[in-house]
Amino acid sequence: MQTSREEVQQVFRDVFGEDQIVLTDDMTADDIPGWDSLGHLNLIIAIEKRFGIKFATAEISRLKDDDQNVGTLLALIARKRG
Amino acid sequence: MDESIDPKISLCTVADRLNSAPPAKADDAFKELTGGLRQAISQGLYDDAAKALRRAIVPTLDYTHLQSLQRIRKQLRGKATVARQAVKLAILGSFTTRQLADFVDLFLFAAGVEAHIHEGEYGVFRQEIFDAQSEMHRFAPQVLFLATTWRDLGHHPDYTGNATDVSRVVETEYSEWAALWQKAHEDLGCQIIQNNFTLPPWRAFANHETRQAGSAARFIALVNQTMANAAPTYVTIHDVDYLASLAGRWRWDDPRFYHNAKLPCDPECLVDYAHSVASIVAAQLGLAKKCLVLDLDNTLWGGVLGDDGVGGIRLGQGDPAGESFLDFQKYAQSLRRRGVLLAVCSKNQHETAWDAFAKHPEMALRQGDFACFKANWNDKASNLRAIAQELNIGVDSLVFIDDNPAERAIIRQLVPEVAVPEMPDDVTGYVRTIEQHRYFQVLNVGTEDFQRTAFYQADQERRHVQSTAADIETFLRSLEMKATIGPINPTTLERSVQLIHRSNQFNLTTRRRTVAEVTRLLEDPSWISRTVSLSDRFGDNGLISVVLARVGDEALEIDTWLMSCRVLQRGVEQFLLNHLAFLARERGRKVIRGQYIPTPKNALVRGHYEGLGFSKTGVGDGGTTDWELRLTPEWKPMTTFIQQDAGYANV
Repeated sequence: MQTSREEVQQVFRDVFGEDQIVLTDDMTADDIPGWDSLGHLNLIIAIEKRFGIKFATAEISRLKDDDQNVGTLLALIARKRG
Repeated sequence: MDESIDPKISLCTVADRLNSAPPAKADDAFKELTGGLRQAISQGLYDDAAKALRRAIVPTLDYTHLQSLQRIRKQLRGKATVARQAVKLAILGSFTTRQLADFVDLFLFAAGVEAHIHEGEYGVFRQEIFDAQSEMHRFAPQVLFLATTWRDLGHHPDYTGNATDVSRVVETEYSEWAALWQKAHEDLGCQIIQNNFTLPPWRAFANHETRQAGSAARFIALVNQTMANAAPTYVTIHDVDYLASLAGRWRWDDPRFYHNAKLPCDPECLVDYAHSVASIVAAQLGLAKKCLVLDLDNTLWGGVLGDDGVGGIRLGQGDPAGESFLDFQKYAQSLRRRGVLLAVCSKNQHETAWDAFAKHPEMALRQGDFACFKANWNDKASNLRAIAQELNIGVDSLVFIDDNPAERAIIRQLVPEVAVPEMPDDVTGYVRTIEQHRYFQVLNVGTEDFQRTAFYQADQERRHVQSTAADIETFLRSLEMKATIGPINPTTLERSVQLIHRSNQFNLTTRRRTVAEVTRLLEDPSWISRTVSLSDRFGDNGLISVVLARVGDEALEIDTWLMSCRVLQRGVEQFLLNHLAFLARERGRKVIRGQYIPTPKNALVRGHYEGLGFSKTGVGDGGTTDWELRLTPEWKPMTTFIQQDAGYANV
């Protein structure tokens, strides 16, 4: 299923309470204020709810690794939605 | 959001709209609210934002929405002044308590409480308690919440163990927790909230689990039962296992977030979890609701009594809707039987409505179930105020149930202190809705609870006699009042603390003390406690007044003086003063000192000490006044028409 960047972007804006967020693939947690470990958790929870998907335990922690960014997150969501 | 809204007028309405929005519109309603709140904050309208935010926080919101509201709440900390009370709460947990603590704070904020929360380091709750130098000890909490999970159980029986082996393990497990509580109680004198343990969703013994002595579920259930039976009064057992069963055990126990973030349960379940904890803390501060006010037509029965007649309303067996209304009546009655007051507030002909409760054969609620009955054509806002006044409770102690969304909206606007839950269209959802809000949280139960409605009904008879008596003295004499006075003892402790928590109006200093704190005072020989129970020819009023006083070097210093408003103007104050004077003189003190600390609710007793002949000796911050009575040889006891029960000595 096609997941528009705008839909995910809206989740980011809601979760971090910042209407100016514009997502690009190479963005990481360092680029968005509030994307700490609590923010990460809140983001995962909101994305799961919004798109009706479930991340595996390992995926949730893997998303925090250094080589991960918004692009890999978008790809993972798209794959989960099938 | 470009459209600018005037926060003063409509922000609360926006909050209410979120509450009643259908799921499809909830997100938009939420955005409108958060936008409005941010705008109000940016304009410095902190109190308006706080008021609206308080209304928006309900236990039916989800995790993500609550997180957003918590961010806004943090911006208001220290800026908004709407809090009625403050509390110091320590949360010690074996998991990440951050989200739970945030939500507890949010729900307490909604209840009008400014919470100062100390979170212990992850997983070191035992050290925090046993180390007298720990941060928690320095914080000195009033309430200590032990946020534990089944992972903190220290012992497990062998699967092959028999009942005797298992009960030994249960005993060991319990005694370790009891030692922890005792230590915390001795060092800190605080009330403790202790989680019980959730039963696991998986079962090694499958269907046989509950019958196998050594199984996990049976062991945990026994530990929970032992805690419920044996925990001392300064410990409130928080029934987390019930919360898990409400949510569904697999859902509650989703371990993904435990392993990733050490959350104790599914994040969505944290909302209900925090609400449950907050409702207990709020109840300890006297904020539990006291009276369920019910509309009649299409709330307690189907149809319109005035149009359909007693025979035409839908109530009772044989009709699905009629049975549903009957079930709701039975639920309301079960609340009444345990001590919640019931009242009626309905647009109806009084006689018609009143008679229906006697005449309709299938009515579960009867006239005797109601402490107050307002069926008339006045507007409901006025009726609700009248109900609160007649029952001598605050308007904010009322919960109003009405099937009509328009009536609900009007009450929220005109009497915002009344809790008006958003009701589902179908009456079969009423019980769940009321339960979800935990309005009537219970900390302990005494005989007074079971008799409460009867107390209020006897009151109405007294009022009738009063209105026909020639003068007040004749009336007071005709009551034939008898009082029992004595120190707080084990049988009166819980009722005394209940009054300390609940009394708002006749309360000179509004010092909310927990069972733990009161117990410590009782052990201190320089403190005196007295309770008064009053009966008269109309019945027993139960334990209605509590005084705590300290014997100072030269004076008897009254720390707490409170009384149930049911017995106003009966001379109980004069009766108690005479007794206090006796106690002071007996201890060689010639002065009694008292203090009045004003709150938004206790203006009733502003002139209390003056009326008893005290002189004002000082005025302090926020209108606090100090009073003194010199017990010179000329001082004579005040006249009362209360006879002291001979069974009790002046000890």
